[in-house]
Amino acid sequence: MNSLARSRRLQPYLFLTPYLLGALLLVALPAGVSFLIAFTRYSGMGRPVFVGWQNFQWVKTDLLFWVALINSLLYILMAVPLRLLGALGLALLYSRPTRATGLYRAAVYLPTVIPDTAYALVWTWILNPFYGPLNPALRTLGLPAPSWLAESAWALPAIVLASLFQIGEGFVVLLAGLRHIPRETYDAARVDGANRWQTFTAITLPLLSPWLILLSVRDVVLSFQSTFTPAYIMTRGGPYYATYFTPLHIYETALDGMHFGEAAAVMLLVFIVTILLVVLLYNLAEGWGFDED
Amino acid sequence: MKTRTILIAIIAFASILTACQPANGGGISFMVFGDPAELAVYQTLVAAFEQAHPDLPVELIHVPGQADYRNRLAADMVAGTPADVVLINYRHYAAFAQSGALEPLGPYLAKSSLIQESDFYIEAVEPFKWLDELICIPQNISSLVVYYNKDLFDQAGLPYPADDWTWDDFLAAARSLTQDLDHDGRTDQFGVGIEASLIRLAPFVWQAGGEVVDYDANPSTLTIDSTKAIQAAEFFFSLQTVHHVAPGLDEETAEDSESRFINGRTAMFFNSRRGVPTYRESAAFDWDVAPLPRGETRAGILHADAYCLPGASKHKDAAWTFIEFANSVEGQTIVAASGRTVPSLISVANSPAFLDPSAKPANSRVFLDTIPYIHALPVHFNWIEIEDIASEELWRGFYGQTDPLDALQRAIQRTRVYFTENE
Repeated sequence: MNSLARSRRLQPYLFLTPYLLGALLLVALPAGVSFLIAFTRYSGMGRPVFVGWQNFQWVKTDLLFWVALINSLLYILMAVPLRLLGALGLALLYSRPTRATGLYRAAVYLPTVIPDTAYALVWTWILNPFYGPLNPALRTLGLPAPSWLAESAWALPAIVLASLFQIGEGFVVLLAGLRHIPRETYDAARVDGANRWQTFTAITLPLLSPWLILLSVRDVVLSFQSTFTPAYIMTRGGPYYATYFTPLHIYETALDGMHFGEAAAVMLLVFIVTILLVVLLYNLAEGWGFDED
Repeated sequence: MKTRTILIAIIAFASILTACQPANGGGISFMVFGDPAELAVYQTLVAAFEQAHPDLPVELIHVPGQADYRNRLAADMVAGTPADVVLINYRHYAAFAQSGALEPLGPYLAKSSLIQESDFYIEAVEPFKWLDELICIPQNISSLVVYYNKDLFDQAGLPYPADDWTWDDFLAAARSLTQDLDHDGRTDQFGVGIEASLIRLAPFVWQAGGEVVDYDANPSTLTIDSTKAIQAAEFFFSLQTVHHVAPGLDEETAEDSESRFINGRTAMFFNSRRGVPTYRESAAFDWDVAPLPRGETRAGILHADAYCLPGASKHKDAAWTFIEFANSVEGQTIVAASGRTVPSLISVANSPAFLDPSAKPANSRVFLDTIPYIHALPVHFNWIEIEDIASEELWRGFYGQTDPLDALQRAIQRTRVYFTENE
């Protein structure tokens, strides 16, 4: 092999090096260290002391861990399907180019580029029971107007509601997915006399399913983490833990309580639950006839 | 060609790493929390220091929220890169002291020619001793007081709070000051604004003759379910649940009580001294402070922050020079004049810098009169968590989501494990 061919072959790895190095230094290494810390008593200062499974035993009996985990799972259960449906609906609506499509598409994507903290502050105002614009609008429509972030039963749905408008990425992915479906398939269906619903269920949905699976897996992983900013800014986990999610729990355990071992143990457990959810999702998807190809 | 690319990549990477290093060669960094008006106070202090010590520039790091500040400080400590001088509340420094992350300042103070321990109020100094060693130098000896809107008292035809007013007097005033101004069935002006938390309930418990914990020096449990404490909690919760003189949950969520007070729609607001710079700047009405209304006995609660020197600081001597200056008569006078502190130096506290009746609040003496009755919360490794959890339960009691006894008992039961853990 001449040297030119060898350097050609090495080139992709060379280009990947900065990214791989970053992933190793900033993700893999800290994650590995965190896994080790989960088995220690560590205040963040001084030396960690190995304590075996003690942190996990504590976590098991810790009310707040279970509250946070259940809240996070509830959030995922509500937010992921709704976000996916929203992205799908909007992608279908704006898939065909017309004169104003570009504007609409930009409008759908726009909330996604707003920094999370600003977005959370805006929603704190929107959801304000007295001074926000949402409740007067609901009352005008004759709908009930709950106190949102002040009410235990409504605070979590309120944060889900806020998340439903940051679906720009799913929207763009599905637009690309729709473009991926060959025109001829639709033409053939039309010749066969299929109506719009039949076309959607028999062609669009099956051909889009790989994209939908990809998005739902991504959204499950993301939703475990993305609750931090809204919970931190909008409610601080309240009222009475109604929006207390696992990332906030980990953060407070580590940086308020200085219990880094326990925080790492919770993180490890959340990591495992995330993997289980993703595996579950893949198995479900197989049941729907989804094929890697 | 390729070597050059790699070289550029290495240089770029190295420059990112070095960019993370703090870049104040001869100077020190000083981290504070507080509203913009409070930040201005520390800017003045730093400017005065830099004038006296031109060779020691100070980089001021400001984190507005107190909880955010706490978390930032913890993260910095863990990373081994804390500011050279940090402000910490006595309820929050124990975890750092236990890990040995703070340089004890007792020996520095002993050698100082500017200040000595006996210059300070002992009530402010004692809580900052960990295992009999002075860890940090307190800047203030604040306590909880009632800020009141004099204009609203005048409008209601009420006399201003007397120095010896009682819970009953306080409640009566609060009831007259709670009003539905536009008669739409919704209260627009509240008599009282008070946070539903352990640190606010505690002085009421002491005033009723109860205790917050079993042993101050080495507590093993909260004791807020004694008959006396229950009596205090029932009074405290009833402000919202029975008398509705404090905002309900919806109202408090829509606009918090401090903001309502500043906007002239809450007549009496409970806060420590730290609200003063902000109220001086933002309150468009006449206001003053009154002592806490008394129960069976008088009691106040200590609010004190101290200058601490993290052990990881690489500029300990320079940092001490700054701490010494900030807590000298000159430094404390500057901060006191801005309204931010009740000075921990006895001489400055009794000077016009603090007591000047032409600067609001006119009745600043209230803070000094309280000192003989002042109580401190215990200094404990897990106190932040204990207070957080207890406050969540008290919050439920305050907003009527459970009965007082249940709220108190759950607070005790849920916090118990945090008293013994990590010993």
